Amino acid sequence: MKQITFSYTTKLTFDDDVHDHSFALRIIPPDSPVQKLLQYDLHITPLTQYCQTVDAFGNHVISGYINEPHRFLDFTIKGRAEVDLSQSRTDFLPCYRYPSELTKPDASIQAFFADHRTACDSSDPAACAAFWSELLSDTLRYEKGVTCSGTTAAEVMAAGAGVCQDFSHLLISFLRLHGIPARYMAGLAYCNGETHAWVEYWNADHWEGIDPSNNCPVSENYLVLSQGRDFADCSINRGVMLGNYTQQMQLVRSVLS
Amino acid sequence: MTHTEIRQAEEAQSLFTEAIGNAGEINELLRRYGVKFGIYKNGVFKEQFFPFDPIPRVIPAEDFHLIEKGLVQRVNALNKFLFDMYHEKQIVRDGIIPEDFIYLSKGYLAQCEGITPPGEIYSHISGIDLVQGKDGAWYILEDNLRIPSGASYPLIARELTRIACPGAFAQHHITDNRNYAELLRDTMEHVNCGGIRAILTPGRYNAAYFEHSYLAELTGAVLVQNDELFVEDNKLYQRTYNGGKTQIGVLYRRISDEYLDPLTFYPGSVIGIPNLMEAYRSGNLGLINAPGNGVADDKGIYYFVPKMIRYYLGEEPILQNAPTYLPFYDEDRQYVLDRLDTLVLKDVSEAGGYGVVFGSDLTKEQLSELRDTILAEPRRFIAQEVIDFLDLPILDNGRTVLRKADLRAFVLTGKETKVWASGLTRFSRNPDSFVVNSSQGGGFKDTWVLSR
Repeated sequence: MKQITFSYTTKLTFDDDVHDHSFALRIIPPDSPVQKLLQYDLHITPLTQYCQTVDAFGNHVISGYINEPHRFLDFTIKGRAEVDLSQSRTDFLPCYRYPSELTKPDASIQAFFADHRTACDSSDPAACAAFWSELLSDTLRYEKGVTCSGTTAAEVMAAGAGVCQDFSHLLISFLRLHGIPARYMAGLAYCNGETHAWVEYWNADHWEGIDPSNNCPVSENYLVLSQGRDFADCSINRGVMLGNYTQQMQLVRSVLS
Repeated sequence: MTHTEIRQAEEAQSLFTEAIGNAGEINELLRRYGVKFGIYKNGVFKEQFFPFDPIPRVIPAEDFHLIEKGLVQRVNALNKFLFDMYHEKQIVRDGIIPEDFIYLSKGYLAQCEGITPPGEIYSHISGIDLVQGKDGAWYILEDNLRIPSGASYPLIARELTRIACPGAFAQHHITDNRNYAELLRDTMEHVNCGGIRAILTPGRYNAAYFEHSYLAELTGAVLVQNDELFVEDNKLYQRTYNGGKTQIGVLYRRISDEYLDPLTFYPGSVIGIPNLMEAYRSGNLGLINAPGNGVADDKGIYYFVPKMIRYYLGEEPILQNAPTYLPFYDEDRQYVLDRLDTLVLKDVSEAGGYGVVFGSDLTKEQLSELRDTILAEPRRFIAQEVIDFLDLPILDNGRTVLRKADLRAFVLTGKETKVWASGLTRFSRNPDSFVVNSSQGGGFKDTWVLSR
């Protein structure tokens, strides 16, 4: 068991006024047998009322609406949590076994899968996860700027490079081809200054975590902010706004210690 | 013509000699009222009049009584199925429906897991398509539980017919169909979470815009578009002209699930309302129909509806499905492949009469192509026996001819489930076609349910 303190900030800036701004944030770590949120402070500016619900995948959703013109939206969460890997998550949905929009395999993923699947036994999820994570770290280059948030597993396969999100999508795609339920985890890990993504796979009766972009099992240094079938279910921040703005800058900072 | 057909034709004719003479006048009135539907063909939007045939379909009281009982049973089971799907999934755990049919269906929306809609009602307005066989028996052809359209057409046709030939209604025992407004209003009010009633339309370029505005007028609901709506404090509001806001407690939305909320579903949607799903999830809004209903009206799931009726209600189905085979099952696949040239094949992911193929229309090469597609993707298709359905008389340049027709019955679920004693009868104008969808050039008739 480990106690960690964390903080996470996003600053969105616009070069002109925006209004009618609706947003949905998934930044409050959801409680589970593995992690308990001990205390937290959430600040959103411009100051606005917000509501909180829990979505289909068990994530906290902070939803709000800013009608008045504004040029930025900042949100920060700071808090303390306890992570205990001697426990495990057991919340399950059958959809984790099936392809999702960003992870569905195309012909080249299927061909790659067919070439290598005999190297591991589908009935041993842990061995499969370790095998594909290893294979991915050998074949995929970790490189920023090649992919974006909407990049699919098939596109990553073709590009041959990507970031943690892309490694995770591909690993999920392969595990689901084995019939092993797998899900996308978004959160904070180490002190890399940004958000991180990794994978959980279903092992008989519980979830186990694996970090494909570092090719290692998850440790008590991983704090979950949200989970889902793929990145689309886990966006830390989704928003819709009106205005004549032409660009939007996003600055993200996270600290875990 | 069989005896039943002749009897029906004569019955309709005698009931309606007056109206036949007035067909031109009624169609002219429909034109003037703007009763049309839109259609996209090769990317171009066209508005078409929905041709009206003056000879009504007449359903005897005892036939309708049976249909009514059967449809109430079916829709109640479908609502229980939807609740189960987005909660415990007991019917899958018990092995009645294979998991693949649920989670590979485009209509299943994982984002709706765990949401309990007001009153646990998912399908408030169900459009169930039936056909009558030559043997007189009624068969279910398809369930439409997303946003079934069409109720406005028999409503306005009846209204105009009443103007053109009042005599027919004075002399015969025809159940009044004007209560649809009341049924719909009650259905909306039953799940109203506090506020006004509204109907959401994507605008006048939508195929069913006429219907949206007409139903709003009939039920006293406000007709709204997304740019006048917003969600604040997880409640849905309409902006008022003076800068204020009015809460909407129930929204009959006439846009598809994937466009409803860009923060939950398709992010590029410009016709949706951000955070609408949060308002719904929080219990501050009734949504008609519930998002995610597509998992229950998928053509692949249709096969399992009789099993649902037995499973959830412990009853035998009153109305039968058309004989259906699932190539997904080994034993059905062989039968389908052997008899491909006599069956009708439906692609489960298509709607509106698209993706329907009659084996008898195909060449040898096309049949073998279809055979390969089925073998490659068995779950994508259902196969059905071609039902020899009862043809209905329609007026064609002053002559009465027989054409294929179906019936879309409207079933409304509020406090109870009720079947509207009318419905949309669609027919194919092409003598060789079985496909009656309006998007495929069909026409419509009024449906008269006799009160005794």
